[in-house]
Amino acid sequence: MNLTQELLRAELARRVGAVRPDLAGKLDLSTIDGLFAAQTEIAGADPDSVTGVVSVLRAFDPAAWISETITFAATLTPAEADVWRTALTRTYFLAGNPANLVDRFRFAHVADDGNVAWTAPVDGRVSLPLRRLLKLLEAPAPLPHWRQLDLAVPGGPKTGRTRGLYIATAGATVARSLVHLNHLLVEAVFDGLVAGGDQLQVRQVPRLLGVPSTFVALRVAADPGNPHLLRAFAGLTKEVPLAR
Amino acid sequence: MLVAPVTITPTKPLTPSHLKGLLWTDVMYRATDLLTSVTYRYSPSTYHPCEQTLGFWEFLDRTVGEVDYSNCSEDDVGELYVRYRAGQERAPFADCRPYLEAVENSGWVHPASARVLELWAAHYARLGLHNPGLSTHQPPGLGLDEVIDLLMAAGLCLDLRNSGGPVYLDLTAAGLPLRQIVSAEGRPNYLACALRELVPLVPLHDETVLLYDRGLEPDYVLLHKALERLDGTVHRVSLGRVPVDGRITSARQGDWRTLSVRTLLDDVTSRHDEMTVRLGMRLYFIAKLGPGDRESFRADLLERTMTRAERLLAAATGATGDVEYLEPHRGVHQRVDPYRLTSGLLARHRDPPGAAMLAAVYT
Repeated sequence: MNLTQELLRAELARRVGAVRPDLAGKLDLSTIDGLFAAQTEIAGADPDSVTGVVSVLRAFDPAAWISETITFAATLTPAEADVWRTALTRTYFLAGNPANLVDRFRFAHVADDGNVAWTAPVDGRVSLPLRRLLKLLEAPAPLPHWRQLDLAVPGGPKTGRTRGLYIATAGATVARSLVHLNHLLVEAVFDGLVAGGDQLQVRQVPRLLGVPSTFVALRVAADPGNPHLLRAFAGLTKEVPLAR
Repeated sequence: MLVAPVTITPTKPLTPSHLKGLLWTDVMYRATDLLTSVTYRYSPSTYHPCEQTLGFWEFLDRTVGEVDYSNCSEDDVGELYVRYRAGQERAPFADCRPYLEAVENSGWVHPASARVLELWAAHYARLGLHNPGLSTHQPPGLGLDEVIDLLMAAGLCLDLRNSGGPVYLDLTAAGLPLRQIVSAEGRPNYLACALRELVPLVPLHDETVLLYDRGLEPDYVLLHKALERLDGTVHRVSLGRVPVDGRITSARQGDWRTLSVRTLLDDVTSRHDEMTVRLGMRLYFIAKLGPGDRESFRADLLERTMTRAERLLAAATGATGDVEYLEPHRGVHQRVDPYRLTSGLLARHRDPPGAAMLAAVYT
């Protein structure tokens, strides 16, 4: 699939326009400046009232984290998913040990390995006590490499559906990859692109450019090295035909 | 019992605030030691790895270079410390690593700090303070990785080093915020140093008393809770600083220039004998100033207290035994409360203290 700036702009415009049609009317979402202005407006909303999820992380294990993120998204009600999408699935990644917090705070999902917990989407003022107790996740190490990671998404009988999940590794840190993958995966669950019982072939590539598959979902954001360009940081492919 | 006061980094002159902490600790240690066995742990070696000290040493060698520090005064080193703290740029931790390794592997101390510790030992001797080993290599019982492992096993630590992140002390289960103890660069702070020392020591004692500057209260609450969760019995004693001319300043601002322990001692010893100075200083910094930080330092009041000390020493008899005199000042704890004990000396209509007790605790 040829990834071009036009395609990335269109993908970002689709994402923003779908959840905030009001902005599509006010700003020209076909331009990069219009897209950035829309994102700034969404991000700049009053942190006390904007909806977000707090994700508490003790340690990062890529395979478990991907599975648990999908499981978490699947536990949300359609109403919760809608309100979170309006805030472009804003997520606070905080360092913390879920086991030390479960007695004091309500989480929507706690990973089986105890490494991650997620609150439901709540107003900023509701999550403030938890956010005050913890620190923003600082994880500047490069994303660890793995040769091949094939995941059976838990939470349902086998669907027979397999997709590729591609992650761009050039310049990728653990912290930034979590942000990108989180947006991509939870929105894919809400869109019905991924569900329990699916198979995911998780692949790392320096850039998504040249991946020989068609993407059905892309995580697009500003290129940190070149603020006038967009970049695809992760993508979910159309179904992969089963090997015979 | 274990008495573990916060240590002062040997990078500047001692000030009245430092002196107050040292005198409180000394009276607590010496009085309690008459009643029960006490360990006084004060190890500069433990705290050399923290940034204040390592960063200063790296700065000295980078900007001052080869210099004979053996005749330097505390003030000379203090002026360099002010210059270090005023600088905007901080050397990357990688540049401090050779110093850290030298401290950890061989107990190395930079000559500037070795000189400061030597001068402090002389102040201790003049003041009759027990020297807990200022210049002795006393490494902490645990290495950094060992203490992190131990804290992890107890659910008291969050270690994000695998993801290039920091290490936190985690008392969130007690509703206290996460506190970084090792930076993402790998730089340990003084809390990490304190944990390396106290985690193995506290369980060896029935009771531990932590004495510290009130400004460190949040960190000491964390330390207290962490040690308790490791089955220690811990008490905290926080002391306010001593304002000079109504102001509390810090070493990074050169607070000793107004008044330092050296200038204070030179002044009072010009008028009073050594025993009077020792008792008078304790009466003033403990009973007169109290644990808070409201009272500014007053030279006239210190001078009047010296006169009281002279009279107390003259009136001291052998009538009351140490233990009978000290017991009422213990409260429910093992330790003797320096404030209660010392205020008692100044109370009128009391039997004069025994000469032996004064000698054992105050001079």
